[in-house]
Amino acid sequence: MQSLGIDVLFKGTNMIRLLKGLWVSVEISLISVAISIVLGLIAGVLMTSKSKLIRFIFRVYLEIVRIMPQMVLLFIVYFGTTRVFGMNISAELSAIIVFVFWGTAEMGDLVRGSIQSIPKIQYDSAYALGMDKFKVHFLIIFPQTIRRLLPLSINLVTRMVKTTSLVMMIGIVEVLKVAQQIIEANRKASPNAAFGVFAVVFFLYFIVCWPISRLAVKLEKRWA
Amino acid sequence: MKKNYLTKIGTLLTATALFGATLAGCGSAKTETADLNSTAANIEEGDAAETDTVYRTLDEIKESGTINIGVFSDKSPFGYVDENGEYAGYDVYFAEKIGEDLGVKINYVSTEAANRIEYLQTGKVDIILANFTVTEERAQEVDFALPYMNVALGVVSPSDSVVESLDAVGADDQIIVISGTTAETYLEKNYPDIKLQKYDAYAEAKTAFENGNGVAWANDNTEVIAFSLENEGYTVGIPSLGDADTIAPAVTKGNDTLLTWLNEEIETIGEDNFFHKDYEETLLDTYGADYENTLVVEGGKVQ
Amino acid sequence: MDLNVLKSYIPLYNEALLLTVKIGLLGILTAFVIGLSGAAAIYFRIPVIRKILSIYIELFRNTPLLVQLFFIYFALPKLGIRISAELCGVMGLGLIGGAYMIETMRSGLESIAKVQSESALSLGMTEGQVFMNIILPQAFSVSMPGIMANVIFLLKETSVFSTISLMDLMFTAKDLIGMYAKTIECLFLLVIYYLVMLLPVSILGSIIERRVRYAEFGD
Repeated sequence: MQSLGIDVLFKGTNMIRLLKGLWVSVEISLISVAISIVLGLIAGVLMTSKSKLIRFIFRVYLEIVRIMPQMVLLFIVYFGTTRVFGMNISAELSAIIVFVFWGTAEMGDLVRGSIQSIPKIQYDSAYALGMDKFKVHFLIIFPQTIRRLLPLSINLVTRMVKTTSLVMMIGIVEVLKVAQQIIEANRKASPNAAFGVFAVVFFLYFIVCWPISRLAVKLEKRWA
Repeated sequence: MKKNYLTKIGTLLTATALFGATLAGCGSAKTETADLNSTAANIEEGDAAETDTVYRTLDEIKESGTINIGVFSDKSPFGYVDENGEYAGYDVYFAEKIGEDLGVKINYVSTEAANRIEYLQTGKVDIILANFTVTEERAQEVDFALPYMNVALGVVSPSDSVVESLDAVGADDQIIVISGTTAETYLEKNYPDIKLQKYDAYAEAKTAFENGNGVAWANDNTEVIAFSLENEGYTVGIPSLGDADTIAPAVTKGNDTLLTWLNEEIETIGEDNFFHKDYEETLLDTYGADYENTLVVEGGKVQ
Repeated sequence: MDLNVLKSYIPLYNEALLLTVKIGLLGILTAFVIGLSGAAAIYFRIPVIRKILSIYIELFRNTPLLVQLFFIYFALPKLGIRISAELCGVMGLGLIGGAYMIETMRSGLESIAKVQSESALSLGMTEGQVFMNIILPQAFSVSMPGIMANVIFLLKETSVFSTISLMDLMFTAKDLIGMYAKTIECLFLLVIYYLVMLLPVSILGSIIERRVRYAEFGD
């Protein structure tokens, strides 16, 4: 395999560093999705609000998330906030903020969709049984919503893992940056390292995302 | 039905306006504060004006026990990560010394060329030690300490078609540069007709150059000489271009305590020929002994 | 914010917008062609191709575009395959987009009731006629919202082109920040230009979505 440059990965701690870099990506995604689910439930309920103003605000929010590339948001949060507000936000936190901003919008919209898809008769029957608004939401509506949300949030994990490849741009040393460092440190000894290392990175992303997205498909089919 | 989607367009337009206005508002607010800060600083110079500075003073760094130093992590032999995951190189060797003499731990922050000013201005690092060439434009944005290395620009190209003059570059040929470097600024200014192919990271630029995506690679001459020495089949056709510049550590504008300390440090360690030792430890393998006196600036004094 | 700075940057941003749109459109067109032919191949259950397509879809849907671009642009030349940055951008966008488009159009095709093609066949139409005249037009309008979502997704994804030396909007902003440190101005223009590029697409998307629903339910 000399000529393909995969051997580079077996030198020193290179492979372990690459895997650690991958873990950074997965960690950021998992934290972001967890927060997004909680905030998304709240946002989703608010989106069904009767107030025109609240609905309008969320419309704007959704549209921003839909249109702005995540990379632009990362730059704005990481560099822009310090410039404008003088706050110093670490790269990791910036990434999580951007991912939660995005995740909450998607989750919220899904929650809204599934709340609205639940037949009105269920509300009516629940009220008729003497339940209050709070109970109706927590005992009747949410359990049904969550079942539909779970596959979609699993899906969001894989999309976030994939998007973490961008956080390299704001200085987080994740799997791609480690790959570059390895290629650079071994340029002389194995000039073809770029092939081997990038091929392995491609594969690593795949073996993380593929099983998760399969799981999402399975759950979706079972619970649909 | 129709009314519905008109509302939507309205919504979207308002959204745009709102978003733009917010940003614009933030932007102008920022400029105002900046102006205020500078006037304040002008009036009560030296006075401990309690403005919310982005940087950390020397005492604050010492107190916290860690210093954040921005270095390259993909620019061998100046700043890179070795196979055991440790930062190494000429810049890093100096950084280690700074940490040792300050008595604090070092947190290395991996930077790209184009981010260096940004990192300082937003206080995300205390010092940039990333092969930062001193230029007038940059000196308006950050404060440079005394220099520790000489540098000019250079151009390397494959040995079978060496580029020896920038005037000879064909109209369709592209020269590889790294975004945010002095080479980029120099070529943009002096050779606006040459097509540049820009990359963010050193690793990417070098790989692209190896792959033959450009006819030449323009960068600090230290860098391109190292490249031609480390890789077979490449010749530095233009060894020196533009002004003779220096490389120095940089701190956030106005961070005088740290700047003074750095200057004193460079002078002190210069007495023990620290940077010559640094050269021998980190650069000798690449450059050989011939370049030692041309490259190294000892004690902040350019010869 | 400095208005003069903004003004002086605008030509650069215009150029970047042009490049972004050009490569974006070519990439989307490629994605569309891959999507349509791939979905048709799956619909007609062409044996080997179906298997290959499903591997292709899984591979490209489960890896980031950035990594795909790195691989095509930096790794393949090591095997002697060299591709220009523009072509690489179009290819990358086309390949990842193709994987998504196949999925979208396939589900569109599958949503059309079997009884329709059966009745058309019994009327004496050939299988090709049924597909082109009956199934495809309906499937197309069903998939339209999904296709528009993909288009927006792909146009957004162009922001990673900067890593392979394409001077798109994102790179122009980053580059200018690196050279002149006018962060606020650069980011502001960046946001404005993305809005200018994507807002019309987003609006078009909602109009189409409404039209499709109209077609679906009648009124």
